[in-house]
Amino acid sequence: MEIAGESFAEKFDLFGCFQCGKCTGGCAVSLKSQLNPRRLVREAILKETELIFEKEYLWDCTLCGTCTLRCPREIKPSEVIIGMRGVLIEEGRNIPKTIMEALESVFKNGNPWGRARMKRTEWSEDLDVKIKSLPDGDEAEILYYVGCTPAYDPRIQEIARGMVKCFNVAGVDFGILGTEENCCGNEVRRMGEEGLFEMLVEDNLEIFGNYNVKKMVTTSPHCFNTFKNEYDADFEVQHYTQFLSKLIEEEKLTFSKEIEKTITYQDPCFLGKQNEIFDEPRKIIEAIPGVKFIDFDRSRKRSLCCEGGGGRMWVEATGEGERNAEIRVRDAVEMGAEIIATACPFCLLTLEDAVKTTGYEDKIQVRDIIELVSEAI
Amino acid sequence: MEIVVCIKRVPDTAEAEVTITEDKKDIKKEGLAFEINEWDNYAVEEAVQLKEKFGGNITVVSVGSAESNDIIRRALAMGADRGILLRDEAFDGSDSYAIAKILHGAIKDIKFDLVLTGAQAGDDGCAQVGPTLAELLGIPHATLVTNIEIEDGKAKVRRELEGGLEELLEIELPALFGIQTGINEPRYVSIMGIRKARKKEIVEMGLKDIGLTGDEVGLAGSKTIIEELFIPPVGEGAEIIEGDAAEVSARLAEILKEKGVLA
Repeated sequence: MEIAGESFAEKFDLFGCFQCGKCTGGCAVSLKSQLNPRRLVREAILKETELIFEKEYLWDCTLCGTCTLRCPREIKPSEVIIGMRGVLIEEGRNIPKTIMEALESVFKNGNPWGRARMKRTEWSEDLDVKIKSLPDGDEAEILYYVGCTPAYDPRIQEIARGMVKCFNVAGVDFGILGTEENCCGNEVRRMGEEGLFEMLVEDNLEIFGNYNVKKMVTTSPHCFNTFKNEYDADFEVQHYTQFLSKLIEEEKLTFSKEIEKTITYQDPCFLGKQNEIFDEPRKIIEAIPGVKFIDFDRSRKRSLCCEGGGGRMWVEATGEGERNAEIRVRDAVEMGAEIIATACPFCLLTLEDAVKTTGYEDKIQVRDIIELVSEAI
Repeated sequence: MEIVVCIKRVPDTAEAEVTITEDKKDIKKEGLAFEINEWDNYAVEEAVQLKEKFGGNITVVSVGSAESNDIIRRALAMGADRGILLRDEAFDGSDSYAIAKILHGAIKDIKFDLVLTGAQAGDDGCAQVGPTLAELLGIPHATLVTNIEIEDGKAKVRRELEGGLEELLEIELPALFGIQTGINEPRYVSIMGIRKARKKEIVEMGLKDIGLTGDEVGLAGSKTIIEELFIPPVGEGAEIIEGDAAEVSARLAEILKEKGVLA
């Protein structure tokens, strides 16, 4: 199997692999899935990549990035998996139907949730404040890039509304792109749809250019990651935890209420591991009066992926066994946490589901950091 | 095997709010996303699978505006060999009958064994173009086709009937089949695939090229006229449940239990 005349091993520079297995050892799903990054790299070197079409488990990968981050030889197994998915995408077969639908929806509607573009601002309709809209001619210092899931998912819409409250209390001059906002493409790229990702980058850079965007704050670590690392962008992009942490430090955002709870924090992979933003979210949580903060044993770089990334919001994994989010919830309950805070829409959805499936609804809650902040200011 | 597939570009109205134009003859198209008619997508996939089995060529034909090139190119990326866009101002306002005449004008000069259409279109839902086109071409047809097997110049096709019944027909080729959804699993069409398909030919044809006159197409050549398009009035007996997701689902579960649907 070749990509544009290059073998996998050449394209992904795999010849340095000495098969130490750290990639598979650190993999968030390899314990319960046949997915084995070390074997995939080996097979790619041996040109046994024809087998790609039989590997249903390729879609199990969450693209948390642990394999790539831990490789002592600077090989990127997670990129190999994206490349293998890309082969399936270009062939058009052996792709889970729900992944196809998500991609087709991004192409058609600008979001992977199958929702109409014209409903993208639905989340803001009940707010009693008017939000500046760049397409309507308003100018603002900061573009608040809402993202698809906060725009459409009823649960996550609360996070977008909380964000608006925080901005307004701190007197931040911000605006949104309204129905012109488009999918960022982070998940699209990770589902292997390279062509669609390139198209989104081109379209989005044009939109950001049209409205002279200089500074952007995102709700989701996924959008943040791709804008920061995969767009050749001339604007500054921050995840909201970075932005809020600064506002709190400068005392532009102060708290008036206490939250007397024991809170732990789930590091989103695209914020923590992949972009090394570990401190800001913790600082925000600890700044809230009344909070007792405790960390997971597996935290920061060793944090356990919630399994919501890499397209997994749209496809169930093949392997059997407990979901990582359920393991996370049990661990949190055991160590006495009353709230799992996170800073990612996907983490929030997977963990909240896990609270229900483990039956711990009376013991623990899952909240986004924005929700905690907007409650306490 | 030479196959012709007729496809149509339609708005996706499943999730969007549909509004009616001032003259009450059409829906407002602004802000709507357009795509290949769902049934036609299955028809293209079926054609590609038949080509993969028996070889030959696939021609996709669409009556529409320049935007219909998008769905033609998508079909080319799926595996069709060439496209024909039938585009002329004179075609505006054509009903199913006039559309069938236009398609016939282009297809009559093509050598084919099989013509596939979607069983119906997602926008007007008439399901008439296929059978009318078959009559104009003078070939047999079957509608709501859920399986095709080709053997010795004949096709064995399964049709979906009401109440879970199925019908098995043997039809001599050339023939026209109206394809029902679910007959296959349409493949994914990647953006790179669509870009590569730009090399394939799309021929544009107008009224003169297909040998018809202005009074045979458009409103003049149609047998049906839209009097008025309207949103159905809200009926009696519907209970709209208010509240957040948890409240709504709790109440819904209650109702389903009351009615004996849930134990």
